[in-house]
Amino acid sequence: MSTLHPDSELMDLLDRIAAQDDSALKRLYERTSSQLFGLALRIVRNRDAAEDVLQEAFLTIWRGAGSYRASLSPPMAWMGLIVRSRALDALRKRTTDRADLMNELDDAMAQTLEGDSPNPMDTADASEQAFALHQCLGKLDHKQREVVSLAYLRDQSHGELAEQLKLPLGTVKTWIRRGLEQLRACMARYA
Amino acid sequence: MNITQHPDLLDRLAASYALGTLRGGARRRFEALAREHATVRAAALVWQTRWSGLTELQSAIDPAPAVWTRIDNLVQADRAATAMQAARVPQAATAPGGWWRNLLVWRGAAAAGAMATLAAVVVGMQVNGGLRANTGAQIAALQQQLQTTPQIQYVAVLADDKADASMLVTFDPKNSQLVLQRVGGFQEGADKSLQLWALPPGQGPRSLGVLGQDKLLKLVAQEGDVKEVPTLAISLEPKGGVPSATGPTGPVLFKGELIQRML
Repeated sequence: MSTLHPDSELMDLLDRIAAQDDSALKRLYERTSSQLFGLALRIVRNRDAAEDVLQEAFLTIWRGAGSYRASLSPPMAWMGLIVRSRALDALRKRTTDRADLMNELDDAMAQTLEGDSPNPMDTADASEQAFALHQCLGKLDHKQREVVSLAYLRDQSHGELAEQLKLPLGTVKTWIRRGLEQLRACMARYA
Repeated sequence: MNITQHPDLLDRLAASYALGTLRGGARRRFEALAREHATVRAAALVWQTRWSGLTELQSAIDPAPAVWTRIDNLVQADRAATAMQAARVPQAATAPGGWWRNLLVWRGAAAAGAMATLAAVVVGMQVNGGLRANTGAQIAALQQQLQTTPQIQYVAVLADDKADASMLVTFDPKNSQLVLQRVGGFQEGADKSLQLWALPPGQGPRSLGVLGQDKLLKLVAQEGDVKEVPTLAISLEPKGGVPSATGPTGPVLFKGELIQRML
């Protein structure tokens, strides 16, 4: 199996899962759970909630693998969208349930934005399209990259981002606008 | 202005739309244009695909090992439910009846100590008289199966603290199959799962599996899992159950003796 392109190995596993092969699901979990858990955690920012998201996502994959081929997506992108969608459900539920808890977590999050860490993204299993995005994001300032990534991953508006990151609304708007302009120019070269 | 004549503006709007930061009236106008013009729709799709790459680029972090246990438990319950669905069709065709007769067979088969428990089933069945007709047919079919399947060697009736029977358990060592049948009206919440435990003497509880929502459930078990186990119990756990090593974390709802058939 290791000689296969990662995408073909994952696609083969998804085909077997569609035929209700539970050993294929175990293998898929071993191959992708860390990557998908990192994504879930990035969106919901709470280990317990992220584990619930991962559990629901893998059950969705178990029951929905038959529709994977029709999506015409790279396998990691397809699974990533399932995790994001479950994670956004969990976020919305939690926002309505426990507004106070969110505030505590927001403080922790605001701190992680301050430090200018190198691009932390993990591209081991990424599809070509994700790799192009990764290259282009790498050319942005850390803060621009963060707000653009969070806007997408958490489906947040300028206002929500400003509130959560404790930044002025105008600053968030500027970072996103400049980040988008640079990204569009860069991505056009990969089109 | 026809947006399709302004590729740069279209690209900018499509990127914001797919990122999610285009909101309110501007978003609705963009959606209306997309419905009208395939070019606009295509631009939005291109950016949705590009942004979806972000889901692939986050740092990998290992989840706790218990997550896989929970997923696997739910998947196995799913498979059992699917298998039951397939098996139910021919079973439903079997003529109903025979519950009382079968009960007598059981009574004869079971050790004397089981009498009180079996009486509890009768009481439980009368109390829970509201079982639907199709469930009655399933139970009858199961009884029929019990009678014609000599491999059933272990039987347990799990009851709550008021001695109302809630679960009938049979074990077929030949097919390594535990069959559980809900007879009471108990239904766990959507965020909870029932988990079956063997309580071997002098050892910690051992998980035999997590139950799905169906009236009739099958779990895989080896004879060694249930042999010499005097008692089975069912606890209420978080959805998907807990790893066997953890032991039950929720309340024990039903409990009963496991009786080996003497015939």
